[in-house]
Amino acid sequence: MLPAFVMAHTPRNARVSSEAPTLRLGLVAVAIAALAGGCRGTRSEDPPVHLNPNMDFQERGEPQEENPFFADKRWMRKPPEGAVAVGLLKDDDHLYRGRNLDGTLADALPPSLKLDEKLLGRGETRFNIYCAPCHGASGHGNGPATRRGGGMQPPPADLHMKRLGPEPLGFFFHVISNGKGKMRSYKAQIPVEDRWAIAAWVRTLQQSHSTTPVAAAAPAAAGAAKGATP
Amino acid sequence: MPAIFPRWTNNVPIAIGLLAPLIGAGLIFIVWYWFSPSYTDVGYRPEQPVPYSHKLHAGDMGIDCRYCHNTVERAAHAAIPPTGTCMNCHDLVKTDSPRLKLVRESMASGESIPWVRVHQLPDYAYFNHSPHVAAGVGCATCHGRVDQMTVVEMVQPLSMGWCLDCHRDPKPNLRPLDEVTNMAWDVEKTPYDPDRDPMRKRKVNPPTHCSGCHR
Repeated sequence: MLPAFVMAHTPRNARVSSEAPTLRLGLVAVAIAALAGGCRGTRSEDPPVHLNPNMDFQERGEPQEENPFFADKRWMRKPPEGAVAVGLLKDDDHLYRGRNLDGTLADALPPSLKLDEKLLGRGETRFNIYCAPCHGASGHGNGPATRRGGGMQPPPADLHMKRLGPEPLGFFFHVISNGKGKMRSYKAQIPVEDRWAIAAWVRTLQQSHSTTPVAAAAPAAAGAAKGATP
Repeated sequence: MPAIFPRWTNNVPIAIGLLAPLIGAGLIFIVWYWFSPSYTDVGYRPEQPVPYSHKLHAGDMGIDCRYCHNTVERAAHAAIPPTGTCMNCHDLVKTDSPRLKLVRESMASGESIPWVRVHQLPDYAYFNHSPHVAAGVGCATCHGRVDQMTVVEMVQPLSMGWCLDCHRDPKPNLRPLDEVTNMAWDVEKTPYDPDRDPMRKRKVNPPTHCSGCHR
């Protein structure tokens, strides 16, 4: 359908021959617009276009953004060596290092943590997030990472092996925090309370696999009593 | 006296009357359809420096989102993991894969891997992951089925209207608090009423006023 004024000022004799190209031109224009515009959700490797810049990007540091001003490209400056923020001295050896005052590995939860259902539940979910990929949800050292890509060399430890049974609770906390053998430290990935919760869950897994249900409850209760006395 | 305007100009008002609404509607359509983040942002799928596959790691192997994005429950920003997190496993698995060359180099040099950010809100919008996760909004609700993506892409517009749709009526997008990182959780298969969930300590009440997000 042509607009009235186009039809009106087209010479009568040229009308038949010029109408078709105009129509075609219009169709081509629509096709070009559609091609240039594309449809919503079309995949693209090009970053989103901000048609209205609108202060979308401001001179402001966001986490993990680059700062071109400093040589190390960080927004935050690293505190000087040895500086300690207020309240972050972490001088509680039991809580932060899993050790007693004499330096031996502690065999109880730090006094600030209480062994209860909540802590064990927390330990279970955290274990399944951070440990199960290698050690497996049951702790047998057969997580999904061991079954792909040629497996892990050396394989992750089976948490039910005899050698680990008598180890104190602090040992597991220590290994999670600092790594052991080829296992790397999880200190940065898991907050300290969660590491204790995981250690408690590891102990729970071990006991669930080595004793009768009735006997399993007793040491857990004893651990709770131990944890309550500093 | 000859006419100043030729005869065909009589049609101009009619033509304008007919065309102006069409052009106006066309312009509105163009802005509505093509200026919207549903067009400009959805489908953004940058090539990453390392061909990391979420489908393999999160989907097939079932590694929890929080293994790598471990700050999501505690911080505003769901951190892109440091190279060390990759090396937790890749120190022992696929240690000589050419696709992991950049990861090994990054580990040796201490230089970050130049990952390309996929989801980015405008700087004037405040967003914090932790309350969303605590309220039981699933990862997949905003990020789509990342566990099925070999290359991560944006599936939601992250536009203001889209945010408000949920802030005004969050219920359909809430799930049990322990299913937040479960990519396959489906409200169709497991009907869920957040008001009857004993795990929830308080009602979800997201802000809809301006300064909720524009602080």
